[in-house]
Amino acid sequence: MEDLQQSIKRIFNVGWTNFKRNTYLSMGTTGVMVMVLFLFSGLMSLNYLASQIISGLEQQVDVSVYFKNDASEDEINKVKIDLESLGTVKNVEYVSKDSALAEFKEKHAGDASVQDSLEILARNPLQASLNITAKDSSEYASITSFLEANKFRSLVDKINFYENEQVIKRVLAISEGVRNWGFLLTMVLAVIAVLVTFNTIRLTIYNQKQEIEIMRLVGGSNWHIKAPYLVEGGMYGALAAGIVVVVFYPIVYFISPKIESLMPGVSLFNYFTSNFFQFVSLILFMGILLGVTSSFVAIRRFLKV
Amino acid sequence: MIEFKEISTIYDNDESIEILNGINLEIKDGEFVSIIGPAGAGKSTLLRLLTREISPFRGEIILDGVNLAQINSSAVPLLRRKIGTIYQDFKLLSAKTAFENVAFAMEVCGADKQEIANDVPKILNIVGLGEKLKSFPHQLSGGEKQRLAIARALIHRPRIILADEPTGNLDLVNTYDVVKLLTKINELGTTVILATHNREVVNSIGRRVISMEKGKIVRDQVEKGKYVI
Repeated sequence: MEDLQQSIKRIFNVGWTNFKRNTYLSMGTTGVMVMVLFLFSGLMSLNYLASQIISGLEQQVDVSVYFKNDASEDEINKVKIDLESLGTVKNVEYVSKDSALAEFKEKHAGDASVQDSLEILARNPLQASLNITAKDSSEYASITSFLEANKFRSLVDKINFYENEQVIKRVLAISEGVRNWGFLLTMVLAVIAVLVTFNTIRLTIYNQKQEIEIMRLVGGSNWHIKAPYLVEGGMYGALAAGIVVVVFYPIVYFISPKIESLMPGVSLFNYFTSNFFQFVSLILFMGILLGVTSSFVAIRRFLKV
Repeated sequence: MIEFKEISTIYDNDESIEILNGINLEIKDGEFVSIIGPAGAGKSTLLRLLTREISPFRGEIILDGVNLAQINSSAVPLLRRKIGTIYQDFKLLSAKTAFENVAFAMEVCGADKQEIANDVPKILNIVGLGEKLKSFPHQLSGGEKQRLAIARALIHRPRIILADEPTGNLDLVNTYDVVKLLTKINELGTTVILATHNREVVNSIGRRVISMEKGKIVRDQVEKGKYVI
């Protein structure tokens, strides 16, 4: 047990010495990793903001079903109950003919011509309706199909899903685009980080060619020879993660109010502070993973023990 | 006991270029064997096969009844701890002192500080460098550097010492010192295999001499050998 502890201590000491020895190289590698992790954090912010925009848009999107004038309130209520029993439906709001008219009047209170027209008409021209909100915007098509196939189809005059369909499709496209491009960008950045760290470790291995050769000759175990380079790679990632956390939070603190002025109720700073430990753990994990993976590839390629 | 059975090695996976060609050789425990031959004869290759730095293209190498080809790569470091190696260019770390150079060999094999503090000064005393613990390689003479390399090779108490042209960079006096030291090590029971092109060195030792040319053993004088052209 003591041997293992000592061995681990030695590996970390050697890793740390390697890290310190090539100061400029280490700084360069850490710098590139900082950029990658910083961009990744930026991407996380963008994802969060996009999800807020999308959920805001999704809340504004719904499907309205307009009923024929001869449909009774009881019949409409039965349709409402049927809809509410669907797992995909979040909320169904009934708007009677009278409340639709009251709302219309209120909305056009300052428009004398509209008020006059309504008086001349002497009857309520508006239809009763159900406003349906789905749990997920992708469900509107299936809800519409359900309504079209429903036994109450004869009561329905029109479903305005097709008018909203374009908005819904656009929202879904944005959502998917942000996810896909974000993923792609993250992957590209990760590959760049791996390549840079890979080359740094390769240079370290090259600089220490003689030491490695001697370690091999005197019977140093594979683990003893290779592990310090894995530790060195991990250190680049860990240091980069630390720098990113220290720099990222003040930046978020300053830009958060500006974003909030554009998107009321969306606080980027609150999001990152309430998820502080998850964020730090994720960045640290990503940094160390990138560093260790790059080192692993480099030692497999260049360190023949 | 070391046995080479029909050993052939090739250069860079090219079967048409054989470095060693059908080597058969037995070396008993405690022997002092000098391998002599011109550059390119295959002397160093023969030594490198024993530490499994390279593998034979054909044939078997048996060390103490174990076929080296069948050793897992994870067990190769253990094999190398049984074999001390010495080279013409010393292979010392210039940024480390004499003490640290020897300690380094112990550290990478997992020795603790106490062991290192005990063993390193002892071994440096044995090779006559007891007063030079804190000297860096550039502060040592060629002979002292080689003695330091021998101390490092001895630190794991190996049963075999492989010396590849250990006197190649040394003057006559230092050559004699190093040969004397290797002889002393051999007298204490360690098998020594010395590869050299210097016949004066071989003749001064007066033990078994194996002559190699173009990858083949051309002569094997078992007792009190002398290299004769």
